[in-house]
Amino acid sequence: MSKSISAPARQQSGGVPAGIGRRMRLRLAHRSFRILCAAAAVLVSGVLLTMLFFMFRTGVLTFQSVSLREFFLSAEWEPENDKYGALVFIAGTFMVTALTLAIAVPISILAALFLAELAPSRLARVIRPILDLLVGIPSVVYGYMGLTLLIPALRTVTGSNLGDGVLAASLVLAIMILPTITRISDDAIRTVPRKYIQGSYALGATRFQTVTGVILPAASRGIVQACILGMARAIGETMAVVMVIGNTPQLADSLLKPTSVLTSNIVMQMPNVPFDSTWNNALYMMGFLLLAISLLMIAVVRLLQKKGEN
Amino acid sequence: MKWYGKLTTLTLAATLLLGAAGGGAATAAASKLSGKIVVNGSSALLPLTLQASNEFKKLNPKVRISASAAGSVTGPQAVRKGIADIGACDWDASTDVPGFSKFDGQVANKVAVIPFAAIANKSAGVSGLTTKQLQDIFSGKVKNWKDVGGKDADIVVVNRAFGSGTRVNFQMKALQGTDFITKGDNYKEVKSSGDMKTAIETTPNSIGYIDLVYVTDKMTALKIDNVAPTTDNVINGSYKVWSYGYFMTKGQPTGATKAFIEYIQSAKFQNGSLKKLKFIPLTAMK
Repeated sequence: MSKSISAPARQQSGGVPAGIGRRMRLRLAHRSFRILCAAAAVLVSGVLLTMLFFMFRTGVLTFQSVSLREFFLSAEWEPENDKYGALVFIAGTFMVTALTLAIAVPISILAALFLAELAPSRLARVIRPILDLLVGIPSVVYGYMGLTLLIPALRTVTGSNLGDGVLAASLVLAIMILPTITRISDDAIRTVPRKYIQGSYALGATRFQTVTGVILPAASRGIVQACILGMARAIGETMAVVMVIGNTPQLADSLLKPTSVLTSNIVMQMPNVPFDSTWNNALYMMGFLLLAISLLMIAVVRLLQKKGEN
Repeated sequence: MKWYGKLTTLTLAATLLLGAAGGGAATAAASKLSGKIVVNGSSALLPLTLQASNEFKKLNPKVRISASAAGSVTGPQAVRKGIADIGACDWDASTDVPGFSKFDGQVANKVAVIPFAAIANKSAGVSGLTTKQLQDIFSGKVKNWKDVGGKDADIVVVNRAFGSGTRVNFQMKALQGTDFITKGDNYKEVKSSGDMKTAIETTPNSIGYIDLVYVTDKMTALKIDNVAPTTDNVINGSYKVWSYGYFMTKGQPTGATKAFIEYIQSAKFQNGSLKKLKFIPLTAMK
């Protein structure tokens, strides 16, 4: 409908002999489109900065009554006794994220290589949509699977009484981010120009040499990108983790000891915390830390990536 | 539905007529009530608040009620800040309880009786405990079921997070104020009654506690000092682990808020809808 109306109108105005009107209109259109794009970019980064600012503004009030040293270096988290050591949660977050990546990254890259290079294309065409569907599964579903299938299995295998802890959380998160990392790495590997690969074979390289010497280095940028996305999903994940981590503020000296991470502790305590209390501020500070940690990790990975290129 | 709607219309018409005739001043006053009531606080009391507000709004169409819930402590806090008119709370927030100091100037209006039960996984092989044994288990002194008459297995303690209303009440009424353990390989915390239910049902040798309405036959509701946690035993006074649910208000309630609380406390609501929601009516406790 709208096409049939606007098309003759365009013809009419285009038929005006002087091109100035048209040029003006084009310029206007270009400029406003540019402003629109810039506004969107400003909005996106503005939201991030505002969030950082607000989390920090409330969070920093913690240090009116808690020393920096206590907050970052003490593992005693007992808000009811005015002890606000967040080390347990910070350490827990790093441990869970590291173990998750250690499990998920190798498997994902192998799976991506299989999909992109080794699998018959008919099989790959079946697997790709399945992985895409897996990416979209809500995390709470993974949490339920962890709670009802993984934890009882861990109890039987390890003989532990509870099964909750870093290992359970990492396994759930690893399963959760596997499809993300696999699919993006797969795309990255498939964009490696065929001529590189053919060149490698022409030089007499074996398939293994081609994969490790040509394909993986050429796709490394995309694979790192995939890992960042997977890590970002793992570090901020709350629902799946809170169901299997045990939620006990104690340092995990074993992979099967109930512990707690930043996200799970925030969601456990937020509904019960008095407004305007140090406890409340400390939870905001932990939210800010979470943001800062994930930004920091992304920056580190980017730096490493640049180094690799040189 | 239809007949109910008609009945309400009839009641309304009758009330209006009565009011016009100058008779039944109280009823007339109630139907002319207007205003907005904001209820915040305990999620355990939310079903009761929602049911009552539906019924109350039918009788008083000019009154608007909005109810939301988070943790118990947010109720009295919202009242203190002036965000809410009523703060639903699982304990009497005008007094000090373990972990939370009292809210000055607030009045606690009883609205219901909530029983709690100590629960254990079926595998524990224990059907009842004494108060002393409960205290020892939840404080971490007793670590094996065989020490309290069960099988030889580690006790897994499941606790609610600090700040939970159920936790406050269980600590005050069942453990008589003794402290919980906070650490250990066989200790975990959960964030809601639903999670507690799942944890106890699925974790072998676990013990925890929950609102009586959540108890299922997939777990053992433990007798405490040989008294089973049943509604009857709460009413006859032999089972002590229960508490009142409270609506906290800033000073004595007035206007629409007062009428709403009175509606919840009325015999009609207490013995009707409140009982159906598995709370115990206030009038039953003598």
